[in-house]
Amino acid sequence: MSQHQHSPDLIKQICDQMGADLHAPACREVEEHLKKCPDCQIYFNTVKKTVAWCRDLEEKQAIPSQIRNRLLKKLHLDK
Amino acid sequence: MEESVIIKKARQGDNRALSKLVNSYSERIYNLALRILRNKEDAEDVLQETFLNAIENLSTFNERSSFFTWIYRIATNASLMKLRRKKVVYTEYLDHPDFEGNRNEKYLADWSQDPAVHIDEKEVKRILDQAINDLSEIYRAVFILRDVEDLSIKETGKILDISEENVKIRLRRARIFLRDRLAEYFSERVNT
Repeated sequence: MSQHQHSPDLIKQICDQMGADLHAPACREVEEHLKKCPDCQIYFNTVKKTVAWCRDLEEKQAIPSQIRNRLLKKLHLDK
Repeated sequence: MEESVIIKKARQGDNRALSKLVNSYSERIYNLALRILRNKEDAEDVLQETFLNAIENLSTFNERSSFFTWIYRIATNASLMKLRRKKVVYTEYLDHPDFEGNRNEKYLADWSQDPAVHIDEKEVKRILDQAINDLSEIYRAVFILRDVEDLSIKETGKILDISEENVKIRLRRARIFLRDRLAEYFSERVNT
Protein backbone atom coordinates (compact mmCIF):
# COMPACT_ATOMS: atom_id res chain seq x y z
CA MET A 1 0.00 0.00 0.00
CA SER A 2 1.83 3.11 -1.15
CA GLN A 3 1.00 5.52 1.63
CA HIS A 4 1.76 8.75 -0.25
CA GLN A 5 -1.54 8.56 -2.16
CA HIS A 6 -3.64 8.04 0.95
CA SER A 7 -5.01 10.51 3.40
CA PRO A 8 -4.54 9.59 7.09
CA ASP A 9 -8.33 9.24 7.40
CA LEU A 10 -8.48 6.77 4.56
CA ILE A 11 -5.58 4.75 5.93
CA LYS A 12 -7.36 4.59 9.27
CA GLN A 13 -10.56 3.41 7.61
CA ILE A 14 -8.71 0.73 5.63
CA CYS A 15 -6.94 -0.43 8.77
CA ASP A 16 -10.20 -0.50 10.73
CA GLN A 17 -11.69 -2.64 8.01
CA MET A 18 -8.80 -5.13 8.33
CA GLY A 19 -9.80 -5.73 11.94
CA ALA A 20 -13.52 -5.96 11.24
CA ASP A 21 -15.69 -8.47 9.42
CA LEU A 22 -13.80 -8.88 6.14
CA HIS A 23 -16.92 -9.92 4.28
CA ALA A 24 -19.16 -7.13 5.46
CA PRO A 25 -19.72 -4.42 2.89
CA ALA A 26 -16.73 -2.17 3.56
CA CYS A 27 -17.57 1.44 4.22
CA ARG A 28 -18.32 3.19 0.95
CA GLU A 29 -15.15 5.25 0.90
CA VAL A 30 -12.92 2.20 1.43
CA GLU A 31 -14.85 0.20 -1.15
CA GLU A 32 -14.51 2.97 -3.73
CA HIS A 33 -10.84 3.30 -2.95
CA LEU A 34 -10.17 -0.43 -3.32
CA LYS A 35 -11.67 -0.31 -6.82
CA LYS A 36 -9.20 2.35 -7.86
CA CYS A 37 -6.07 1.32 -5.97
CA PRO A 38 -4.57 -2.00 -7.09
CA ASP A 39 -2.04 -2.08 -4.24
CA CYS A 40 -4.68 -1.74 -1.54
CA GLN A 41 -6.92 -4.20 -3.34
CA ILE A 42 -4.15 -6.82 -3.43
CA TYR A 43 -3.30 -6.17 0.20
CA PHE A 44 -6.92 -6.52 1.25
CA ASN A 45 -7.53 -9.63 -0.86
CA THR A 46 -4.41 -11.38 0.41
CA VAL A 47 -5.43 -10.70 4.02
CA LYS A 48 -8.84 -12.20 3.25
CA LYS A 49 -7.27 -15.21 1.56
CA THR A 50 -4.93 -15.79 4.54
CA VAL A 51 -7.89 -15.83 6.93
CA ALA A 52 -9.82 -18.19 4.65
CA TRP A 53 -6.87 -20.59 4.51
CA CYS A 54 -6.45 -20.52 8.28
CA ARG A 55 -10.10 -21.47 8.70
CA ASP A 56 -9.77 -24.33 6.23
CA LEU A 57 -6.52 -25.63 7.65
CA GLU A 58 -7.59 -25.57 11.29
CA GLU A 59 -10.05 -28.38 10.81
CA LYS A 60 -12.12 -29.62 13.72
CA GLN A 61 -10.86 -32.83 15.32
CA ALA A 62 -12.85 -35.43 17.18
CA ILE A 63 -11.58 -36.11 20.69
CA PRO A 64 -9.61 -39.37 20.67
CA SER A 65 -11.42 -41.97 22.78
CA GLN A 66 -8.49 -42.35 25.21
CA ILE A 67 -8.57 -38.61 25.93
CA ARG A 68 -12.33 -38.71 26.46
CA ASN A 69 -12.01 -41.71 28.78
CA ARG A 70 -9.26 -40.06 30.83
CA LEU A 71 -11.41 -36.92 31.14
CA LEU A 72 -14.43 -38.87 32.40
CA LYS A 73 -12.22 -40.75 34.86
CA LYS A 74 -10.69 -37.51 36.15
CA LEU A 75 -14.17 -36.09 36.69
CA HIS A 76 -15.42 -39.35 38.30
CA LEU A 77 -18.03 -39.64 35.58
CA ASP A 78 -16.77 -42.94 34.19
CA LYS A 79 -19.14 -45.23 36.06
CA MET B 1 -34.02 -30.87 28.55
CA GLU B 2 -33.14 -27.17 28.52
CA GLU B 3 -29.59 -26.23 29.33
CA SER B 4 -30.60 -24.10 32.32
CA VAL B 5 -32.30 -27.17 33.85
CA ILE B 6 -29.22 -29.31 33.17
CA ILE B 7 -27.01 -26.70 34.84
CA LYS B 8 -29.34 -26.53 37.84
CA LYS B 9 -29.22 -30.31 38.25
CA ALA B 10 -25.43 -30.34 37.73
CA ARG B 11 -25.10 -27.77 40.52
CA GLN B 12 -26.94 -30.18 42.81
CA GLY B 13 -24.35 -32.83 41.99
CA ASP B 14 -26.39 -34.82 39.48
CA ASN B 15 -23.78 -36.85 37.58
CA ARG B 16 -26.04 -37.44 34.58
CA ALA B 17 -26.47 -33.69 34.16
CA LEU B 18 -22.72 -33.18 34.53
CA SER B 19 -22.08 -35.83 31.90
CA LYS B 20 -24.45 -34.03 29.55
CA LEU B 21 -22.54 -30.77 29.96
CA VAL B 22 -19.24 -32.58 29.41
CA ASN B 23 -20.60 -34.26 26.28
CA SER B 24 -21.97 -30.99 24.91
CA TYR B 25 -18.84 -28.93 25.35
CA SER B 26 -15.81 -31.21 25.50
CA GLU B 27 -15.16 -31.41 21.77
CA ARG B 28 -15.32 -27.65 21.25
CA ILE B 29 -13.09 -27.03 24.26
CA TYR B 30 -10.56 -29.63 23.14
CA ASN B 31 -10.41 -28.03 19.69
CA LEU B 32 -10.12 -24.52 21.11
CA ALA B 33 -7.20 -25.57 23.33
CA LEU B 34 -5.57 -27.47 20.48
CA ARG B 35 -5.82 -24.44 18.22
CA ILE B 36 -4.36 -22.09 20.81
CA LEU B 37 -1.67 -24.44 22.12
CA ARG B 38 -0.93 -26.48 18.95
CA ASN B 39 -0.09 -29.53 21.02
CA LYS B 40 -2.31 -32.53 21.89
CA GLU B 41 -0.92 -33.20 25.38
CA ASP B 42 -1.36 -29.56 26.39
CA ALA B 43 -4.87 -29.51 24.91
CA GLU B 44 -5.77 -32.57 26.99
CA ASP B 45 -4.47 -30.88 30.15
CA VAL B 46 -6.57 -27.80 29.40
CA LEU B 47 -9.64 -29.92 28.70
CA GLN B 48 -9.33 -31.57 32.13
CA GLU B 49 -8.49 -28.34 33.95
CA THR B 50 -11.44 -26.56 32.35
CA PHE B 51 -14.03 -29.09 33.49
CA LEU B 52 -12.49 -29.50 36.96
CA ASN B 53 -12.56 -25.73 37.36
CA ALA B 54 -16.08 -25.41 35.91
CA ILE B 55 -17.50 -28.12 38.17
CA GLU B 56 -15.84 -26.64 41.24
CA ASN B 57 -17.16 -23.18 40.46
CA LEU B 58 -20.52 -24.04 38.95
CA SER B 59 -22.26 -22.35 41.88
CA THR B 60 -20.67 -19.03 40.84
CA PHE B 61 -21.92 -19.24 37.25
CA ASN B 62 -24.03 -16.19 36.68
CA GLU B 63 -26.82 -16.87 34.22
CA ARG B 64 -26.64 -13.34 32.85
CA SER B 65 -23.92 -14.60 30.51
CA SER B 66 -24.30 -17.80 28.52
CA PHE B 67 -22.81 -21.04 29.81
CA PHE B 68 -20.89 -21.26 26.55
CA THR B 69 -19.18 -17.88 27.13
CA TRP B 70 -18.46 -18.79 30.75
CA ILE B 71 -16.84 -22.15 30.02
CA TYR B 72 -15.03 -20.80 26.97
CA ARG B 73 -13.53 -18.09 29.16
CA ILE B 74 -12.26 -20.73 31.59
CA ALA B 75 -10.79 -22.78 28.73
CA THR B 76 -9.20 -19.75 27.05
CA ASN B 77 -7.64 -18.57 30.31
CA ALA B 78 -6.29 -22.05 31.04
CA SER B 79 -4.79 -22.21 27.54
CA LEU B 80 -3.22 -18.77 27.83
CA MET B 81 -1.82 -19.59 31.26
CA LYS B 82 -0.18 -22.68 29.79
CA LEU B 83 1.28 -20.62 26.95
CA ARG B 84 2.67 -18.09 29.41
CA ARG B 85 4.33 -20.83 31.44
CA LYS B 86 6.28 -21.88 28.36
CA LYS B 87 7.99 -18.48 28.45
CA VAL B 88 8.55 -18.38 24.71
CA VAL B 89 9.85 -15.05 23.41
CA TYR B 90 7.44 -13.80 20.76
CA THR B 91 7.85 -11.28 17.99
CA GLU B 92 7.67 -7.95 19.77
CA TYR B 93 7.33 -5.70 16.76
CA LEU B 94 3.65 -6.58 16.57
CA ASP B 95 3.14 -4.56 19.76
CA HIS B 96 4.57 -1.42 18.20
CA PRO B 97 1.78 1.18 17.87
CA ASP B 98 2.73 1.85 14.24
CA PHE B 99 2.79 -1.78 13.16
CA GLU B 100 0.79 -2.03 9.94
CA GLY B 101 2.54 -4.88 8.16
CA ASN B 102 4.96 -5.03 5.31
CA ARG B 103 3.96 -2.91 2.34
CA ASN B 104 7.18 -3.34 0.49
CA GLU B 105 6.49 -3.88 -3.24
CA LYS B 106 8.09 -7.28 -3.05
CA TYR B 107 5.25 -8.36 -0.77
CA LEU B 108 2.49 -6.97 -2.94
CA ALA B 109 2.18 -9.82 -5.41
CA ASP B 110 -1.40 -11.00 -5.77
CA TRP B 111 -1.39 -14.64 -4.77
CA SER B 112 -4.99 -14.51 -3.63
CA GLN B 113 -6.38 -15.25 -7.07
CA ASP B 114 -3.52 -15.65 -9.47
CA PRO B 115 -4.16 -19.03 -11.15
CA ALA B 116 -0.50 -19.17 -12.15
CA VAL B 117 0.56 -19.45 -8.55
CA HIS B 118 1.18 -23.02 -7.62
CA ILE B 119 -0.31 -23.58 -4.18
CA ASP B 120 1.38 -26.30 -2.21
CA GLU B 121 -1.25 -26.85 0.48
CA LYS B 122 1.12 -28.71 2.80
CA GLU B 123 3.63 -25.90 2.58
CA VAL B 124 0.96 -23.23 3.19
CA LYS B 125 -0.25 -25.21 6.21
CA ARG B 126 3.29 -25.48 7.55
CA ILE B 127 3.93 -21.75 7.14
CA LEU B 128 0.62 -20.76 8.73
CA ASP B 129 1.10 -23.23 11.56
CA GLN B 130 4.52 -21.78 12.32
CA ALA B 131 3.22 -18.22 11.97
CA ILE B 132 0.34 -18.84 14.41
CA ASN B 133 2.89 -20.38 16.77
CA ASP B 134 4.91 -17.18 16.54
CA LEU B 135 1.93 -15.00 17.53
CA SER B 136 2.06 -13.98 21.16
CA GLU B 137 -0.87 -15.03 23.29
CA ILE B 138 -2.80 -11.75 23.14
CA TYR B 139 -2.95 -11.84 19.34
CA ARG B 140 -3.25 -15.59 19.02
CA ALA B 141 -6.29 -15.85 21.29
CA VAL B 142 -8.18 -13.11 19.43
CA PHE B 143 -7.36 -14.60 16.03
CA ILE B 144 -8.37 -18.15 17.02
CA LEU B 145 -11.60 -17.09 18.73
CA ARG B 146 -12.72 -14.67 16.03
CA ASP B 147 -11.38 -16.02 12.76
CA VAL B 148 -11.09 -19.75 13.38
CA GLU B 149 -13.81 -20.42 15.97
CA ASP B 150 -15.99 -17.86 14.17
CA LEU B 151 -17.18 -16.09 17.33
CA SER B 152 -18.37 -12.51 17.02
CA ILE B 153 -16.19 -9.57 18.00
CA LYS B 154 -18.51 -9.02 20.96
CA GLU B 155 -18.25 -12.65 22.17
CA THR B 156 -14.48 -12.61 21.69
CA GLY B 157 -14.24 -9.45 23.78
CA LYS B 158 -16.40 -10.96 26.53
CA ILE B 159 -14.35 -14.15 26.69
CA LEU B 160 -11.04 -12.28 26.85
CA ASP B 161 -12.44 -9.48 29.00
CA ILE B 162 -11.28 -6.78 26.61
CA SER B 163 -13.15 -4.07 24.67
CA GLU B 164 -14.47 -4.65 21.15
CA GLU B 165 -12.10 -1.94 19.94
CA ASN B 166 -9.19 -3.87 21.41
CA VAL B 167 -10.38 -7.07 19.74
CA LYS B 168 -10.37 -5.28 16.38
CA ILE B 169 -6.88 -3.84 16.87
CA ARG B 170 -5.39 -7.19 17.89
CA LEU B 171 -7.27 -9.01 15.14
CA ARG B 172 -6.01 -6.62 12.49
CA ARG B 173 -2.42 -7.02 13.64
CA ALA B 174 -2.67 -10.81 13.81
CA ARG B 175 -4.21 -11.00 10.34
CA ILE B 176 -1.56 -8.73 8.84
CA PHE B 177 1.24 -10.64 10.58
CA LEU B 178 0.01 -13.95 9.15
CA ARG B 179 -0.59 -12.42 5.75
CA ASP B 180 2.96 -11.05 5.65
CA ARG B 181 4.38 -14.49 6.44
CA LEU B 182 2.57 -15.95 3.45
CA ALA B 183 3.53 -12.94 1.33
CA GLU B 184 7.20 -13.67 2.05
CA TYR B 185 6.74 -17.21 0.79
CA PHE B 186 4.72 -16.26 -2.29
CA SER B 187 6.88 -13.29 -3.25
CA GLU B 188 9.37 -15.76 -4.68
CA ARG B 189 6.74 -17.69 -6.57
CA VAL B 190 4.55 -15.06 -8.21
CA ASN B 191 5.56 -13.43 -11.51
CA THR B 192 8.85 -15.29 -11.68
